Amino acid sequence: MKSKLVSVSDAAALVQPGSTLVVGGALLRRQPMALVHELVRCSVRDLDLVTWASSLATDMLVGAGCVRSWEGIYVGLWWYGLAPNFRRAVEQGAITVTDHSESYMTSRFRAAAMGLPFLPVQPIRGTGTTERDDVRSVTCPYTGTELHTVAAVEADCTILHGYVGDEYGNVAWPVHRDSDDVDLIMAAGARTLVVSVEKIVPHEVITKHPNLTYIPHVKVDAVCEAPFGAFPGSCDTVYDEDDRELETWAAAGRDPDSFRAYLQDTVLASPDHGAFVERLGRVRTERLEVVQ
Amino acid sequence: MSAASVDELMAVTASRMLVDDDLVFVGVGTAGRAFSLAVGIPLVACRLAQLRQAPGLDVYWGNLLNPDLSSVPATLTQGTITSWRGAYAPADIGNKVDMLVRGEFDVSFESAAQIDRRGNLNITRIGTGDTPAVRLVGCLAQPEHLAFVRRPVVLMDLSSRSFVENVDFVSSRGHGDGPNSRKALGYRTAGPRAVVTDRCVFDFTPDGRLRLRSLHPGQTAADVLDRMGFEPAVDADLTETPAPDPAELEAIRDVIDPQRALLRA
Repeated sequence: MKSKLVSVSDAAALVQPGSTLVVGGALLRRQPMALVHELVRCSVRDLDLVTWASSLATDMLVGAGCVRSWEGIYVGLWWYGLAPNFRRAVEQGAITVTDHSESYMTSRFRAAAMGLPFLPVQPIRGTGTTERDDVRSVTCPYTGTELHTVAAVEADCTILHGYVGDEYGNVAWPVHRDSDDVDLIMAAGARTLVVSVEKIVPHEVITKHPNLTYIPHVKVDAVCEAPFGAFPGSCDTVYDEDDRELETWAAAGRDPDSFRAYLQDTVLASPDHGAFVERLGRVRTERLEVVQ
Repeated sequence: MSAASVDELMAVTASRMLVDDDLVFVGVGTAGRAFSLAVGIPLVACRLAQLRQAPGLDVYWGNLLNPDLSSVPATLTQGTITSWRGAYAPADIGNKVDMLVRGEFDVSFESAAQIDRRGNLNITRIGTGDTPAVRLVGCLAQPEHLAFVRRPVVLMDLSSRSFVENVDFVSSRGHGDGPNSRKALGYRTAGPRAVVTDRCVFDFTPDGRLRLRSLHPGQTAADVLDRMGFEPAVDADLTETPAPDPAELEAIRDVIDPQRALLRA
């Protein structure tokens, strides 16, 4: 094992302009915002995003003009309404979107994880997401049944936010967590994998419970420490989403200029993630911390 | 005891559609009224059924099978959801998607921005042009629900904006274009079973058209038809939606949701 521990900005530098980027997390949980902030600071453009149920990461990258296309199962701000920047960009034709249902999308991530070019899925015919050129058919060689097929997610890079990790890139989840996501499968199928974690812990902490390691170091290209790295979303078991910040975001996002001003006052006002968290202040971050 | 609120009536109506040993899918929902329709009313319906006719009923909520519904916190945050007790939460949500596709769910609760005469649902986009007039959230697992769940139940408020002749985008396939359309498309389930609204209840005719089945107290058929973008079939025995009995209301108010965390109206 070798150390793969780098700064947040060095980790984010592995994401190239014009690349296909898998972004992890689900709903308001564990969106890799520290890494996303860095992509916004560096104006990394023309990204093709592939997500599960995405919220803040997609909305911010779209609002900052970094996105060319999106595919996934959901983009919204969950309890805080529609994703305002994403919504406007789609309505204006500024980005293209491809909607997938959950079984088709899990199969696309699983195909990548299995090293397969595609996987068959039980067909769901007659819907707007399945009667499309990218969904094809195959006849089962055993039963003769006609199945749909979906292509593996062939992404250049994958960014995830996790709970704790060691310097080698072993990333572990807590015993009890909210597991309503597919980060595990995304990591398994990643070509270049960049993970931010709330806390870098000694290797000995990881080795005590290897069954909690859901991303092994062999998969990881860069790991970085980013406390409050999912802010203003939540990192389940560590802190809750920041309701006030999300309301501010939702309001600012209704207009491109006000969202640019919001980015200017928040992400761009801090040179790096450390400065960003410092700006939030202890009072603010302590309010969000949760005890399990 | 005060009369049933609309949400209580909707929850009781939905609850009576549940039977013992059902495995029920409930979504994680979103804000405001959408939360009541997607989460609040379904969870009350499930718990009420567990307390009465369906003690063996299982709920799958988010990625948690059999969440402890015996006490619901007054406010729901990620922290309260994370620490919710339950029987099973697999390492990733793909396991639950597999259960869906394998046909292991009996009932799912759905809500949507649009529903049409054939029970097709749309949660993806409003408008049929190259770019949508309103971009919505996507499609989540709703295509799977209407394809693989045995008895999907739709919960929606009645309005001519959402009850439309044809949905702008088929996120999830309902009864299709004719009596055998589902079978022709390879579906092995019978499609959405009922649509419970704030004013009335619909079921579907044998050939798959939305049919007005009962009116909530105080509603007339004319009121209902005024709030729809198309004329549905009307049951020859159009009745009043059966009222909750006092024991059901007492269970909801005193046991299931005393803090009004689920039925927030």
